[in-house]
Amino acid sequence: MTAVAPPKASPLATSASDGPILHAQNLRKTYKLGRIKVPVLRGVDLQIRTGQSIAVLGASGSGKSTLLHLLGGLDHADKPSADAPPPSILFKGTDLLKASTRTLDTFRRRRVGFVFQFYHLLPELSVLQNVTVAAMAATGAFEYWANRSAIRTRAMKLLERVGLGHRIMHRPAELSGGERQRVAIARALINEPDLLLADEPTGNLDRNTGASILDLFSDLHRSGQTMVVVTHDESTASRCDRIVRLVDGRVQNS
Amino acid sequence: MYQLLLTKRYLSSKIMPLLAALAVALCTAMVIVVWSVMGGFLVMLINSGRTLAGDVSISWPITGFAYYDDLIKRLESDPTIAAATPMIDTYGLIGLPDGRTETVQVQGIDGPSFSRVTGFGDILYWRPIDRPTEKDIGKQDLRLTRHDLWGDLLKGGLNLARIERSKANPQGTERPAVVLGISVSGFNFREPWGFFPGLPMIRGESGEKKPVDIFMLPVDGSVTLNVLPMDSKGRAIEMVARTFPVANEFYSGLYEIDRKRVFVQLKALQDMLKMNRAVKIENTGGVKVSANPDEESFTSAKVVGESPARVTNVLVRGKQDVFDTRDADALATRVAQIYREFAAAHEGQVPDSTTIRIQTWADQNATMIGAVKKETALVLFIFCFVSLTAVFLVLAIFWAMVSEKTRDIGVLRAIGASRSGIAGLWVFYGLAIGLAGSLVGFVLAYSVVTNINAIHEWMGQYLKLYIWDPRVYYFSRIPSQLDPGHVVIVLLGGVLASCLGALWPAARAARMNPVEALRFE
Repeated sequence: MTAVAPPKASPLATSASDGPILHAQNLRKTYKLGRIKVPVLRGVDLQIRTGQSIAVLGASGSGKSTLLHLLGGLDHADKPSADAPPPSILFKGTDLLKASTRTLDTFRRRRVGFVFQFYHLLPELSVLQNVTVAAMAATGAFEYWANRSAIRTRAMKLLERVGLGHRIMHRPAELSGGERQRVAIARALINEPDLLLADEPTGNLDRNTGASILDLFSDLHRSGQTMVVVTHDESTASRCDRIVRLVDGRVQNS
Repeated sequence: MYQLLLTKRYLSSKIMPLLAALAVALCTAMVIVVWSVMGGFLVMLINSGRTLAGDVSISWPITGFAYYDDLIKRLESDPTIAAATPMIDTYGLIGLPDGRTETVQVQGIDGPSFSRVTGFGDILYWRPIDRPTEKDIGKQDLRLTRHDLWGDLLKGGLNLARIERSKANPQGTERPAVVLGISVSGFNFREPWGFFPGLPMIRGESGEKKPVDIFMLPVDGSVTLNVLPMDSKGRAIEMVARTFPVANEFYSGLYEIDRKRVFVQLKALQDMLKMNRAVKIENTGGVKVSANPDEESFTSAKVVGESPARVTNVLVRGKQDVFDTRDADALATRVAQIYREFAAAHEGQVPDSTTIRIQTWADQNATMIGAVKKETALVLFIFCFVSLTAVFLVLAIFWAMVSEKTRDIGVLRAIGASRSGIAGLWVFYGLAIGLAGSLVGFVLAYSVVTNINAIHEWMGQYLKLYIWDPRVYYFSRIPSQLDPGHVVIVLLGGVLASCLGALWPAARAARMNPVEALRFE
């Protein structure tokens, strides 16, 4: 693939070829519902190696999506308490829980790609623009302007890879659920992320469409993409290298 | 870069931003129209005020000053001065043909030179005209016909003289006459569309207007002028009355002037006010005492000298236009310099250069100009304040849009958009709406300002709505002047208002928790 946006030198750029790409320890997350505190994660440990595909399997409300949001730098874990070991999410040696907002923004731009259950495409933009908008967010205006042709070419290649090369000018409302998810996958990959985070990617699709999306994920994994897929479906999970079961906010390794 | 893309898409795909832009457009258009009309009104007032005031006035009220011919000669020899004219400015009473007596401002002028300095000749109303005035659809204006009559009146008006012809003297002789403001006599009624049909009118018992076809004031009417001469110490002597034929009437456009001013031939007024050239006499013999103890007279008098004629004002016109008050001040400084030389040459015989009053047209009209400027500022302030609603409209619309776009904001944060980037998106969006709204507002305002009289006419014709009644405002057309500087200020204000309105929603969008935003239903 064409290198579009070469990674800038940052704390996140530390090489860790043999070690885990991401290592989360003692993750705790508690939500407040009025005066009641609801613990969702109760000390989760997780290690992801480069090229690995991991399924996080659990029942509804088990904290799967919360874990994914923490790993993707979208949410913050509970602050360390005296009676528990300190939490950390080490991405290539940088602790995301101690990183600045700016570093986390950069992390999300360059290092991770999100795929959501409900696709979350921007309805006003065309298919192609929904993909390139992530590249725009990852680069400055001048950088984007200088590389716009290469970015467009890369977006086109990705859309062809997910089977939507012929629908680039369509709006999300004109696409089926499976097609929208394919656009979301292309968007997640436009910045060549180290880690793809998918939250119930087939949860809103029928069986056949879901299967085709999973085939796409398998294809991506075979090409070396590291990924974490959150699902409540055993068959979806079984396609991954490793399954992490979340039960009552804790990990049960299979 | 995504801000530009999304702004473009949001602008073209939703009705709400169009409403915000429309709010900005209407507010900017409203302020531009108000500023243009008020600005135009001010310029028109100033120009009307300047018409009869000259650029600079040298004045020594009531008693006046002598040797004005020498002063005028000195002034007119200066390269910065185009012309100068003598004038007497006083107050008096006028007796009108219908029996009314009114207080008036009486000005004694030398018609030709006064015309060179003030443009007096251009505002004489009774003159031959070749085509009807703009709104005279029915061609009711008497001046369209009988050009010989109006030609005589124009000539008479310029010289402040009635030309009286007879069979024995077909060339006619001139009698000193007065020129009245068009509203002094009370016979001239202006139509709602702004012109005087021509036939003198009076109000009947029930208030209706009736033409007076017995006589026409400038043709065969006369008025009686009463003025009060003063001695050199400012003491009243005795009221002097004289009947003058009316040579013409003038229409300056300023009601206060048109209603209260009467011009009379300078020499005639000098005679009445005892300001003319006179001999000084000395008693060389005894005194004859009459039966009345208040009366006495010299039995033998000897002429010992002359008392020169006096005027209260000399008006000056600069060679360059002095609409800018700084230019007028510069001209006044030069006039003061010339007066110093003049006062030095006539030391003890004319007022000292430190006490004489030298004023520019702006100084003389300061009260009127100040009032209109304050009124303009006040109206503008009120309209700008009203236009602040645009800020709140943009705020409300953007607040709703941020709520509607919460999930999009979550998505953008998930793909790496920073808080400042999200805030920038909404401020940029506000800027775009401000620009679009302001530009539309400018086009709207330009269309209204350039067609304001046509629009007003249409409203009058079809809706019977006359907002600008020339009988009240004294200008037959709604004045308007689109000042590029003012337009730029208002447009920038519109853009700024839109950005201000976008700030709070932008801050709210930036502060959103991305996870909660993604879960927003």
